[in-house]
Amino acid sequence: MSGRIDRKTLFAMGLRANLLQAAWNFERQQGLGWAFALAPALDRLYPERSERLERLAEHTAYFNTQPTLASIALGAAARVEEDRAQGRGGDAASMARLKSALGSTLAALGDRLFWFSLRPFAAAVGVLVAMAMPRHGWGALALWSVYALPHLSLRFGGVRWGYEAGPAVLSGAFRERLEAAVRWLAVLGCVVLGVAFAWALAPGGEPRPIAVQCALAVGLGAGLLTAQRARPSPTRWALAFGAVGLILAWRTHG
Amino acid sequence: MSFAVVGTLVVGGLAALDGTAVAQTLASQPLVTATLLGFLWGDWSTAMATGTVLQIMAASTLPIGARTPEDYSVGGVVGAGVALIIAAGAPFEHVRQAASLVGVMAGMITASLGVPLLRWQRRRNEGLARWCEMELRAGRERALGDAQWAAVTLAFALGLAAAAAGLGLARWAAPLVERESLRLAGAWHLLQPLWLGFGFAQLLHAFLQRRLERAGVFVAALVGAWLVIVAGAP
Repeated sequence: MSGRIDRKTLFAMGLRANLLQAAWNFERQQGLGWAFALAPALDRLYPERSERLERLAEHTAYFNTQPTLASIALGAAARVEEDRAQGRGGDAASMARLKSALGSTLAALGDRLFWFSLRPFAAAVGVLVAMAMPRHGWGALALWSVYALPHLSLRFGGVRWGYEAGPAVLSGAFRERLEAAVRWLAVLGCVVLGVAFAWALAPGGEPRPIAVQCALAVGLGAGLLTAQRARPSPTRWALAFGAVGLILAWRTHG
Repeated sequence: MSFAVVGTLVVGGLAALDGTAVAQTLASQPLVTATLLGFLWGDWSTAMATGTVLQIMAASTLPIGARTPEDYSVGGVVGAGVALIIAAGAPFEHVRQAASLVGVMAGMITASLGVPLLRWQRRRNEGLARWCEMELRAGRERALGDAQWAAVTLAFALGLAAAAAGLGLARWAAPLVERESLRLAGAWHLLQPLWLGFGFAQLLHAFLQRRLERAGVFVAALVGAWLVIVAGAP
């Protein structure tokens, strides 16, 4: 007789979700990490070893989503596995369909929230603080905490949330909340960048030399122009600027 | 080998883990690792100057879907480590500025070279995943944990090796950088703001998403902050 998933098991899943991408690969992407994170729930639900191993092997198949929100999918999948273990759920094919649906939806939401909004926002805050207080580690702490606190809260809390709501977790209200967070982060990000740029022009109220201000403005303009196309990447552009700057420095000081 | 060098290598390994394999908390971002290295080497100004520029470049590099992004986790450690090892014991400010320039370039080159290395690592993981499924079906339950830890060990080792290679090259290049430090410091005075402005633009582009009202928010914040900063200065 299989047991129910308790809080301790959900916490263990959240903890293991930190290794979701440990063996990330092009073929199964997060598949191995997914099975590893789900293993505590399967241990509890399938006391019979052969059945448990069969389920584990099933879960090593392809899976990919935004890694923070993957916790929600893990919780929802654990709930479906619980039903399945008690003979009330579907088969392996329906589990694969559920994983595919959760993965793609959470990726669409999570990429916008975490990769396109929170990560640049945390970087902007960190850089601003680092420029304003260069002799302390506050910039690093600000960057880390702005990103890591919501990330870790969702990573651990998301498993329980997904488990309690089941596959219905991706309701309209959940999406609306995430969309609102994305909008507010973008507006706040513009404010932080405005302040950071002003500080770069005149750190501590002392305007920098006109050549430096011009270089900042040229960089901003060039960045906005090159950002319209994905390739070459910003790093390649920055390396090209570096090479041109070095050549100019050699010719000027030669 | 000094404590700072060993510490830098360990930070390289840990940054490679946080980048993709473990937790992904952004503890591997260049600003965070440069701060740690600045503390280890006792040179805040060189570490922060290098780390800030690399951070602004790293912020626009996103690991979306199956894309292999430039590896700023290891690039940040190599960049700051190279700058710090060149600047170590340098008595003049211009040598430290030259070191920051070389560090930023080294960091960006490492981040770019990290792409094929990451792809190689991910192909090794494919074999690991297939092996794991086979072992599980053969009844060996521990294979799942073993495969995970093997992947974690590989990621740590690659980060550590990249940091070691960067520091080795920096030690070899240090006398050359010192000799050319006046020219390099001159280039740093223009390249640092250029890179910062370029990086700000990448972030701004991510926030604007072609919405004019957000551009207005940016300009209003810039003008307002400028007035407060300049007028409020003693």
